[in-house]
Amino acid sequence: MMINPPKSRTQEILDVLWEHKVYIVIVGLLVMLPHLIGWLTESSPFATARGATVVLRGQSGVWQAIFIEVFALAIFVMSYNLMFGFTGVISFGHALFFGIGGYALGIVLQFGGIENIDVAFFAGLGAVFGLCIVFGLFIGLVSLRLRGVYFAIFTLAVAQIGWYFVENWALTGRDGGFSIKTVPSWIDSIQSRINLYYVALVCFVLVFLFIRRLVNSPTGAVLKAIRENEERAKAIGYNTLTYKLFSIVVASVMAGLAGVLHGLLNKQGISPQLFGVNYTVDALLMTIIGGVGTFTGPVLGATGLHLADVAFRDRIIEIGGVSIQLSDSWALITGLIFVLVVLVFPYGIVGTYYRVKLWIKKKTTSQAPPAPPPHG
Amino acid sequence: MNTKSFSFNLSNPVVTISLLFGMVFAFGIYATSSPSSGINPSLFGITLVSGLFQGMLLFLVASGLSLIFGLMDILNFAQGAYFMIGAYMTWDIQNLDTGVPFFNNIGSAFPDPNIRFLVALIIAVVTGGVLGFILERILLRPLYSRPLFQLVLTFGVSLIMLEIIKAVWGTNSNAWTSTIWLNSGTFSIFGQQDTTYRLFVIAVGAVMMIAIALLLRRTKLGIIVRAGVEDAEMVSALGINVRAIFTLIFTLGCALAAFGGAVATPFLGVKFTMGSEFLLAAIAAIVLGGLGSYEGTAIASILVGFMWSFTQQFGVRPDINNGIWFSITPMLLLTMILLLRPSGIFGKER
Repeated sequence: MMINPPKSRTQEILDVLWEHKVYIVIVGLLVMLPHLIGWLTESSPFATARGATVVLRGQSGVWQAIFIEVFALAIFVMSYNLMFGFTGVISFGHALFFGIGGYALGIVLQFGGIENIDVAFFAGLGAVFGLCIVFGLFIGLVSLRLRGVYFAIFTLAVAQIGWYFVENWALTGRDGGFSIKTVPSWIDSIQSRINLYYVALVCFVLVFLFIRRLVNSPTGAVLKAIRENEERAKAIGYNTLTYKLFSIVVASVMAGLAGVLHGLLNKQGISPQLFGVNYTVDALLMTIIGGVGTFTGPVLGATGLHLADVAFRDRIIEIGGVSIQLSDSWALITGLIFVLVVLVFPYGIVGTYYRVKLWIKKKTTSQAPPAPPPHG
Repeated sequence: MNTKSFSFNLSNPVVTISLLFGMVFAFGIYATSSPSSGINPSLFGITLVSGLFQGMLLFLVASGLSLIFGLMDILNFAQGAYFMIGAYMTWDIQNLDTGVPFFNNIGSAFPDPNIRFLVALIIAVVTGGVLGFILERILLRPLYSRPLFQLVLTFGVSLIMLEIIKAVWGTNSNAWTSTIWLNSGTFSIFGQQDTTYRLFVIAVGAVMMIAIALLLRRTKLGIIVRAGVEDAEMVSALGINVRAIFTLIFTLGCALAAFGGAVATPFLGVKFTMGSEFLLAAIAAIVLGGLGSYEGTAIASILVGFMWSFTQQFGVRPDINNGIWFSITPMLLLTMILLLRPSGIFGKER
């Protein structure tokens, strides 16, 4: 009987890297993206000083902004998927945490009155994560008593209260919102957008790896058990509340992080919209389009929808002499996509891909043992 | 021997209801009084009428929501949009000089404003019913095996309907300008005057409340519906086409919401946030009443209506917009009920 010689440590690492070659290539491309676009369009990815002001001109800066938004949305959607896809908890108020991210950071930076701007920034981050943990714990504790529809209603109500609150708060400019004028220059979205880009990229990769590691861990197995049948998970002896609480708090903090990134990029427009139902809908739609309960699905959904948004929102289409500005009916279009996807494409891109793969495998090897449901 | 005795605890609906109404009235007396002139009975009285009016409107939205949820376990997030469809269509048909030409042309066929209002009401209700039928038949039917997706779907449909309303009628809020027999008179109560239209809505709400109760208690359909609320599968096992009953009740619920919007608009006018305001308040009402309980929904709607009108009288801090209480009261109420007693007044302890 042959025994394989034990693999060396380097060989093991190389194997793991080869297994994840697609991810590595994509991350590599994303790392080079600002310079690549800068090189292609002959624009500098860095901002240049022009007199007293600093300006960022050219395509590279535009694409950096687009991808910072993609990373923020992807983090937001992945956090939503952790709750909806992996734990089976449906929330209609996830935008609450997104809004807390933008508002708490903005309020500390703008109205906190802290002299040192870097201290203020980190105090703001602390405030965001602190608030997200507190609200996440609150909503998570409620999930002990409320299931399904009741939990969805509850989260919707809490998020609406948050929305009404900031919409009527004089300090933050009521429904007009406010702008953060004092951002540390090393992460400012004009002066050093490329730094913000890399910070966002690192956050995005870390969140992706963290969720993957979490879901593939024993804790993740319990989360999936709760999704499939909470009573049964409880009967086996797991304290399901602790696990749900953990999942919800982690998701809340990640959504807060996404809100921070979004707020830093759009520092001129911290408005009650951040708390609006639209962001929750975006999260739901992007999760479902990409594939509920998959790792890459939410990322694909967020990227695809945001790029589509950028590409088509300002277009004008002519149908039989009537020109329609797409931005006017953008919400209607996303709503229609939303309903269509729920009806005819419920497994999303990644989910359908694995189903088709499984189906082909079944056809070619008819007596193959049933494969476990894929999570890619 | 009958030993049924009265027990004073919160699981007794009578105790809970009296306690809640007592608290709301006490709050109302406090909110309508001022430090300088003390208790103000006339302001309290007129606020009470206003609360009853809002409660009845809310009931028209909430009853459909409650019937649909009780029978088929769908929380219809689109109910607020049906309310708005009813309101906007009635408003547009009635007020000839504003809105979309198509509806104005329908309106101009009926020169008499009273008849025009009746026609507008009927068209709005029928449209609401037809749209409800389409939603249940085409969109919700394929999803009965996946309840979470049903919830998500009604949520999506509500967005689409809201966007269509915005695209057709714009985002400005509009007032009702037409004078009809119903809103031309005034009545006085406790020395305060108010339009008779409030009395009309209160009467209509009361009639609908009794009519639906009779439908549920005294007809064959009502028996089937009530049995379906208990156990839809068992009813279907008895050879009754439950799916058809589902469609019927869903259509009825949506038509009721449209009717609510239609009778609300002569007083409230139209604005595109009215749907979500009434939807969230209606959800608060049906949760307070106990999901699926008709009596609970009726009582809780009126309770929420009172809370609405009293909090609007409540003095607010100068740095917070006045309107916030109208929006936030149902939300606070809803979160508190869900936290303290998720089963509501009439619901069974789960």
